Amino acid sequence: MTLAAEDQLDATFMALADPTRRAIVARLAEGDATVNELAAPFDMTLPGISKHLKVLERCGLISRTRRAQFRPCHLEADVLDAAVDWIEESRRVWAERFDKLGTHLRDLQSGSHPRNGEDDE
Amino acid sequence: MNEQTTAPGELNFSRRFDAPRELVFRCLIEPEHLAHFWGPAGVSAPVEHIKVDPRPGGVFETVMVNDADGSQYPTRAVYVEVAEPERLVWTESHSGMTVTATFTDLGDGRTEVHIRQTNVPEAFRSPQAQAGFLTSLDRFAAYLGGLSGKATR
Repeated sequence: MTLAAEDQLDATFMALADPTRRAIVARLAEGDATVNELAAPFDMTLPGISKHLKVLERCGLISRTRRAQFRPCHLEADVLDAAVDWIEESRRVWAERFDKLGTHLRDLQSGSHPRNGEDDE
Repeated sequence: MNEQTTAPGELNFSRRFDAPRELVFRCLIEPEHLAHFWGPAGVSAPVEHIKVDPRPGGVFETVMVNDADGSQYPTRAVYVEVAEPERLVWTESHSGMTVTATFTDLGDGRTEVHIRQTNVPEAFRSPQAQAGFLTSLDRFAAYLGGLSGKATR
């Protein structure tokens, strides 16, 4: 992973550390929404919501159209996917490792005791 | 099991093995064993490159080799705690990520290994991030996966 990608990931996780921002992301996963629409379910002022949106925008998780008057927010799925991928990747590594460990333990206990480099060249 | 509250940025993973706890623990600290499973699918961890000094401050080094193209990924970690056969803790030098492996004797010849990965990115160490990030990473992954449709891959 490149440094830029790592920074991006850090920023994404930071942004998602807040429950309100996670709820905003969840809402935007259903489709684009204006600030007013995003603010509706929360007991929060528009400037309060805007602050959260700025954090999400800065890390690239969401984008906002410049032209439209209501500037609907749009979820950048690729950025979210990168965060999901990173976590899934960690789980996958452990799952695959433990698959192999299970086989190794079975071999050990069945008395076949395979050694390293046992594979035929 | 863990009684600590869920730390910020945490991944939990458990697996049960049909083997006694002592043996499973040895597998995690002996190069001859590690070489058999440390690399995930398609990746080898040659025994000659595994360096293990299982005591606090001791090194845990491997070189992972991609079976397809031979590319190598050296990894380096330092043991924080070695409590045979119950617990093993190490910190990865490049990422600062800490891994805690807990070995539970299930009493019927089986052993459960629980992996807890904490301190994920540097950014999580700020107090604000820690206060906010109450969801464990794997639960969060499921949550995000549901959003992006990736959890089922």
